[in-house]
Amino acid sequence: MLAGDEKLVERCLQGDDAAWESIVTSYTRRLYNLSYRYTNRRDEAEDLTQEIFIKIYQNLKSFRSEAGSFQSWILKVGRNLIIDHYRQSRRYQQVGGSEELETMNVKDDKALNPHRAVEQLDAARFLMEGLQAIAPELKEAVILRDLEGMAYLEMADLLGIPEGTVKSRINRGRLELSKLLTRRRAQMRVQI
Amino acid sequence: MECFKIEERFSEYLDRSLPSEAMAQVAEHLHECSACSALLEEMRSVMVACKAYPALEPDVALIEKILLRTSGRPRTRSFRELFQQYFLHPILTPRFAVGAALVVLFLIFSRNLLLPHFTSFEALLSPKEWVRQMDRGVQQIYSEGLKAYDTKNEWQARITFFKNNVFNKLGFFMEQLDVPVEGKQKPQEQKAPQREPKGTSERSSSLQTPVAQGLKSVLLKGVQS
Repeated sequence: MLAGDEKLVERCLQGDDAAWESIVTSYTRRLYNLSYRYTNRRDEAEDLTQEIFIKIYQNLKSFRSEAGSFQSWILKVGRNLIIDHYRQSRRYQQVGGSEELETMNVKDDKALNPHRAVEQLDAARFLMEGLQAIAPELKEAVILRDLEGMAYLEMADLLGIPEGTVKSRINRGRLELSKLLTRRRAQMRVQI
Repeated sequence: MECFKIEERFSEYLDRSLPSEAMAQVAEHLHECSACSALLEEMRSVMVACKAYPALEPDVALIEKILLRTSGRPRTRSFRELFQQYFLHPILTPRFAVGAALVVLFLIFSRNLLLPHFTSFEALLSPKEWVRQMDRGVQQIYSEGLKAYDTKNEWQARITFFKNNVFNKLGFFMEQLDVPVEGKQKPQEQKAPQREPKGTSERSSSLQTPVAQGLKSVLLKGVQS
């Protein structure tokens, strides 16, 4: 948890706009990346990020620090909204947005070399396309664990499932993704 | 052990979170089964790719939109952001760079052409020295102007002298042409002076051709001008 988040929430509840701005500034990037990894579309990720913050702003009073950190609470709200969005739009498994990756601001010092940046973007596109093709719960587990870097316990809390199930889903997700990417690489070699 | 049971332990094997006995079993199976070994390598590369997945930067306007849709208050920006938005971004353009380079060149040329050189850095900073140097610069410009004016007058005088000299010589030459040559006049021309007015008889006798008359009139006009 970030230091002072609870105080910021208190100040927000007292009507301090600067505190709210501080929260938004701190978590926009995280929630935007999370949304993008689920949707794989820039416009949807932006819309979702806005919706998540609106939801947080409206439900700030319901946050209880005893129940967990503010960051976990925010991620939970965000994840629920993303899942709702998936159920409504049914575009969860659509492959797209990989071309958008090229036009986005990628913040990575290693990517300063143009060749390396192109390679990195190609690898990211390949990975994203594979992720879109596996089962949603496995995809979610891989995203949270390998892309977001969350701990097993944190994931268990967020997803509301036992830690063993989390580990199992992560392993199955990685396996499916690995097999899928291996098959696709073989197909690409044949085409070449 | 069967392959699918080994596969279930791949993540924990890669995380090294399995008990030592189970780690040894998996390692032994991987040594024997090339398919599982290849799959594990693929999984490892997937994990590496995930870790290297670039973090995306959201659009700068996104925070602004969120704030307007929630608190309704626009974003307060730090001095650094304002500095970047209104100063750094506009000047970090090729157009500005070209303009700045031209201005610098202009200033350098202006200084070298119009102003005398400062002898020391202290003199450069002193207002009194600046005024003195500016005064010297103005005087220098004035003296250069006077010199140019004198040069122009000198050249004008030379040209006038040359022109007058040439026309005088031509006039003298024409006068020499007008002198009648004895013994070459034709018999019928000897009677003509009696009918013509005085003063023109001698000259007209030697300029009978149209070409000579035209040349003479041009030269006379030049002399008169």
